[in-house]
Amino acid sequence: MAIPLAIFYYLYLVFVLVFLIFTLFNIYHLVRFGFLTLGNIAMITFYIIVSILILLISWRYISNINWQQEIQLIPTFPI
Amino acid sequence: MLKFYLLHHLENEKIIMLLRRHWFIIFKKIALWTIVAILPLIFYFVAGDVLVGLLPPDLAYPISILFISIYYLYIWLFMFHSFVDYYLDVWIVTTERIVNIEQKGLFARQVSEQKLYRIQDVTSELKGFFSTILNYGLVHIQTAGEKPRFIFKEIPDPQGVAKKIIKIVEENKKFHQLMEKEDKINTRNQ
Repeated sequence: MAIPLAIFYYLYLVFVLVFLIFTLFNIYHLVRFGFLTLGNIAMITFYIIVSILILLISWRYISNINWQQEIQLIPTFPI
Repeated sequence: MLKFYLLHHLENEKIIMLLRRHWFIIFKKIALWTIVAILPLIFYFVAGDVLVGLLPPDLAYPISILFISIYYLYIWLFMFHSFVDYYLDVWIVTTERIVNIEQKGLFARQVSEQKLYRIQDVTSELKGFFSTILNYGLVHIQTAGEKPRFIFKEIPDPQGVAKKIIKIVEENKKFHQLMEKEDKINTRNQ
């Protein structure tokens, strides 16, 4: 039995989407309810920069993988 | 600044104290997430070969990359959320009232307030090793009536804050008594 490797990639994208949603909620809270001091703005900027860095570094490795290949879950034996 | 925190601010009302938790509270959370971030490196050096051997070789590399990416993205998110939670919990003492603003998770925010002249009792509490050494703790504020008491949580210098609140409350009560007397005299004269 074989499954496409892309399943894991799509699952990863779902996690990234949830990450982005929660990131937006957190930033919205800071902007809406926190006093917009220089420290607060710096913190939001720093968070966004590090998040983009993590995603870019991840993409560097992820883009090198062939997601079209299939993974054999149960090994097949020639008859 | 007052308008920003208190949407319905009173006339001539001024902020006397704006309090957040002690810096050590956010430091503890960030330190914890930093340790969690280092854990995979420790696992890799201790049992890396065994872990990689658990998966088929053509699956191990892509899964590891995806897992590491998700792991660090979420640690970063939780660290940021800890900061948001810390930053948005604020206790404000104004010339007229105390306001308690607490962010409870991402989808709940509690704002409660109490007039200064209703305050009956202010107690400070230092409990624990770090709390005693770094001088942070609780301030309990008991008001008249059956309302639950206000608690300023893990704020720096709780004894100093309690003393200051007691002083402000006394001044505010005196002011209100004077105002009441003045009102009575005015109504008699009319």
